[in-house]
Amino acid sequence: MSEPVRRSMKLCYMHLLIPPTHASFWRQLGLAALLACSGCASYEGASSGGAPGTALGPAKVSSADRKVASAAARDRVLFDYRAAATALRTGKDAEAKARLDDAIALIGGIITNSEDAKRARSLFSGESEKTFIGEPYERVMAYYYRGILYWRDGEPDNARACFRSAQLIDSDSENAQYKADYVLLDYLEGLASVKLEADGSDSYQRAQERAGSRVLPPYTPTNNVLIFAEYGYGPRKIAAGQYGEQLRFVTEDSPTHAARLVLDNGQKIVPLPAFDDLGYQAATRGGRVMDHILGNKAVFKSNVDAAGNVALVGAVIANDQARRRERQGRDGDDANLAAVGLGILGLIGKAASAATTPNADTRQWDNLPQRLSFATLALPPGEHAGTLQFLDRSGNVLERRTRTVTFTVQEAGRDTVIFLSELKY
Amino acid sequence: MNTFTRSLTAGFVAIPALFFAGCATTQGVKSPAGVTVTEMKPDERGFVVGTGVESQDLVAVTDKMARSIVGIPEIARATAKPYIVLDPVVNNTRFPINKDIFLTRIRTQLNSKAMGRVSFLDREMMKTLERERALKQSGQVTATANPNVVEFRGADYFLTGKLDGMTTRTTAGTSDYVLYSFRLTDARTSEIVWEDMAEIKKQGLEDAAYR
Repeated sequence: MSEPVRRSMKLCYMHLLIPPTHASFWRQLGLAALLACSGCASYEGASSGGAPGTALGPAKVSSADRKVASAAARDRVLFDYRAAATALRTGKDAEAKARLDDAIALIGGIITNSEDAKRARSLFSGESEKTFIGEPYERVMAYYYRGILYWRDGEPDNARACFRSAQLIDSDSENAQYKADYVLLDYLEGLASVKLEADGSDSYQRAQERAGSRVLPPYTPTNNVLIFAEYGYGPRKIAAGQYGEQLRFVTEDSPTHAARLVLDNGQKIVPLPAFDDLGYQAATRGGRVMDHILGNKAVFKSNVDAAGNVALVGAVIANDQARRRERQGRDGDDANLAAVGLGILGLIGKAASAATTPNADTRQWDNLPQRLSFATLALPPGEHAGTLQFLDRSGNVLERRTRTVTFTVQEAGRDTVIFLSELKY
Repeated sequence: MNTFTRSLTAGFVAIPALFFAGCATTQGVKSPAGVTVTEMKPDERGFVVGTGVESQDLVAVTDKMARSIVGIPEIARATAKPYIVLDPVVNNTRFPINKDIFLTRIRTQLNSKAMGRVSFLDREMMKTLERERALKQSGQVTATANPNVVEFRGADYFLTGKLDGMTTRTTAGTSDYVLYSFRLTDARTSEIVWEDMAEIKKQGLEDAAYR
């Protein structure tokens, strides 16, 4: 309990014991309320926006059931994302597919007339009230991972559909330069088309334009092994600005800048350079409509806080005026009334400002990689073993991250899809 | 009421006005609650946004295809019951879908509506059937007929389809057009003896909280 609250409660208790005069009672009560509530409007600092019981501290036991249930519903996609990535990296394809399909069923639709989205847009609820679907780079990765699994199941057309949806999601960037600018999504779309005996040249051309000086390998439809690789640690969301109303992204550059797969005792080396960077994608998304809404909330919070301060100062001045008039033997009731009224308005303003929550939603898919890579090659059916090496900026092998890889190439008729990740979970 | 009190009274009016200035968090945002998805005629110009392939689309499309196939001369006036093999549908949209469900529903509709005028061959079961025949031929299991006689039927026609899509996305929303086309191909001549299509266009705009 804060000091102002304790003092105001003491004042109220004293008045219960000592019957006050009419004027002084209202004056003291008003001042007590002012003491209790002044300074309520404050910004409590950045929040990671994590699930209850984690970054925000332990969940309250008394409302745990209702809160967890409601939190689980609006965080469901977030849990799906994280679990899917872990399942894919640990070889649990069935679980990864189930989680991703559950997430895509929501993120692939058009969310309208949603009560929790409406609350998120309102003054007194944070953005994290809305059902989480993720920023564009997160939704892109959901489709990207699902596309890999479709291809592994021998459905390159459904894989292509996923890559197309992912590229469409990325077309929502504020700056036209960054719209649909993933290299791999276009490249994979074209490769899938070639595998389906369709024309992938347009997709290849788009991918090459995005890749710039990096030359993409031409499509070789007879290559039966597809290697999807990822490394580094993905972007983190933070809430910046005076009231945490600005969503920003921070990416710690990973030591791993490239990778390679060494097969046949060094006879065959498959380079796995980085084609896409999720930190770059997150940072170049640009402004959101929600940023505008949060900005309005922050302005309101600031304005009512300022107005509350003005009203409270006015209340103090009016109170002083009333006392002066009483000492001079004149009627100070009007000034008393004004003091109380301004005090109440000041309290309302401070309370409204304190209740306004312009905080940006920082819930995040926190086990994403930083960099994405891809390669294809032709291998005979059967067991193969090799070494996956991660390279630093200068091309030196990061020995402690090297690991052995074994996989089985399927018989002719279906591509073998290999997924390699520096992240373990 | 003295001047000071009048000033304070004016404050009672002005301060609430300051409180509520900027209440509208969505000021300047168009359609903050989004726009409910509507189904458009394919040739009708829309204003945005799209949705994917849904169950009502599947039902409408497959019903139309089944009705259309049943009426063609190769089925309606065939002297011998034709045998049809389903070839997987190709998805050329941006929506990952269960492709098998389209042909499955067309097949069930045809079996229901054609009243025995057409038969389907279950090529998905071929490996299982060949294994069973091998067991019968080797004598490991019994057979009610001579297992050495080739009785697997050949296809008279192949039924397949393709889903093509076009997507437009702007700040006003997303629009998706999907063209469902199916065809029946003569297995002997490669002639397309039947073809039909359905097209559906949808658009919508998501809640401002997600833009």
